[in-house]
Amino acid sequence: MSKKNYLCIMRSPSQTSVKREAPSPAQMEEMFAKFNAWKEQFKDNIVDMGGKLGDGRVVTTEGVTDGPFMETKEIAGGYMVVAATSMEEAVNVAEQSPGVFPGSSVEVREINIP
Amino acid sequence: MSGSKSAPKLIEGFFRHEYGKLIAVLVRRVGAQHFDLVEDSVQSALMTGLESWTLTGLPESPSAWLYKVAANNLLGTLRQDTGREKILLKHAEEALFSLETTPEHFSVNELQDDMLRMLFVCCNDTVPIESQLVFALKSLCGFTIHEIAHHLFISEANVYKRFSRARNSLQQHSLKSWELDQTEYTTRLPAVSNVLYLIFTEGFLSVNHEFSIRQELCREAMWLTTMLVNNKIGQTPETFALLALMYFHMARMNSRQDSSGGLLLLEQQDRSLWDRQKIQIGLTWLEKSASGNTFSRYHAEAGIAAEHCLAPSFSETRWEQIVENYLFLEQASPSAIYRLNRAVAVAEWQGPESGLSVLQGFESPSWLIGSYLWSAVLADLHRRCGHIELAENYRDLAIMSAPTQALKTLLQNRFNTNK
Repeated sequence: MSKKNYLCIMRSPSQTSVKREAPSPAQMEEMFAKFNAWKEQFKDNIVDMGGKLGDGRVVTTEGVTDGPFMETKEIAGGYMVVAATSMEEAVNVAEQSPGVFPGSSVEVREINIP
Repeated sequence: MSGSKSAPKLIEGFFRHEYGKLIAVLVRRVGAQHFDLVEDSVQSALMTGLESWTLTGLPESPSAWLYKVAANNLLGTLRQDTGREKILLKHAEEALFSLETTPEHFSVNELQDDMLRMLFVCCNDTVPIESQLVFALKSLCGFTIHEIAHHLFISEANVYKRFSRARNSLQQHSLKSWELDQTEYTTRLPAVSNVLYLIFTEGFLSVNHEFSIRQELCREAMWLTTMLVNNKIGQTPETFALLALMYFHMARMNSRQDSSGGLLLLEQQDRSLWDRQKIQIGLTWLEKSASGNTFSRYHAEAGIAAEHCLAPSFSETRWEQIVENYLFLEQASPSAIYRLNRAVAVAEWQGPESGLSVLQGFESPSWLIGSYLWSAVLADLHRRCGHIELAENYRDLAIMSAPTQALKTLLQNRFNTNK
């Protein structure tokens, strides 16, 4: 079965609404191990680990404005590209990601290239 | 790109120990007055590392990478403080980024020197021992206040108070007095050893925590002690004996609990579970410790632990050797707990009546009379002498005063099986 690519956009609540406590060094070690285990498990699916998203601009015919864009409560903080045979499979990869913590979400969109 | 670096592996405790290294190195370079800023810079550098490495894999030298980020963070914060004089900033910049202080030039020894120096600076008479202990766990081993509270079974407020005392004392030291001379290293070594010993016994003797947590404290104590004996300043018979003692105790760690987590008496432990390799390493250090003309409490305690490790069975233990070591400990620092332990060893060696006579006419401090240990030993010895009524009284007292359910169960089992 041929695979399609999916764009995963990570969103988290803006800093002011939920204050997350910084992880301790011991917890970081655990997170690092979990992340690597996840990457290993889904290495055939992960096309591009992507990265963090910085500030941005919105370009319209009216001109250019600063972000944030539609949302004020949530910030799109990162993205990655996942290859999967179905939306379900892509969702599963995103679901298992240790980067998804309480209050955050991942939006999974199929990338349609004609 | 995900497959560019195959599953990067970091050694156990990497983030925690990098934290300790960076604190020591940076504080040494910019001065202890900036201790809090250093802590923030390091914490944030570790976080940046975590985020970046999960995306792109590990850099060639994670330690050097972290140093650069932390040093840049620190310099940035120092610059933000507009009140700071230019000359101080320049000094900090040079200290952090001059050619010979770049991490490529760090040797393992230098890093360990900095960490040990911080430990020695902290272990001075003006800092209470419990503060020294907390400081070592936080600033060298990289545990947080919350984690230390969990490990030591005390409140976070208490941990914070203890830590602040040590940190404030450090901050009072200017950059200059951060450099200790040889005499200071020598005079403070016993205090440093004592802190490492306490971290270890917190882990080993504590009955309050789950197994894995206790083991973690023991491992940290051994990590620091190993660092100490690898350094010229720590190469003394006492520290060798201390490390030997830790290996012997660790070798028996796995057999101290049954499958359901209940505590087991030495007599009931499965000796085949003891870690032979650790015993061997312990013996090597014990051998190294047998030089010079000092016989310290660490020598005596390592000697006792070695006797247990080497005895083929409980009954074949060389109790007379153990008694001798306890006698030494008692003479060196008269403590009722040594006396009590000697009574137990004498009872195994020469019979319960002799054991009892060790305690006869002995004024035990009130804290020990009230403790379950005292009652449990007396219950056991009286029972074996046939003093049924006395034995039962002490048994009830022991079970009543045992601090945890695990210990109550241990005592109940002990007295039931011996009925």
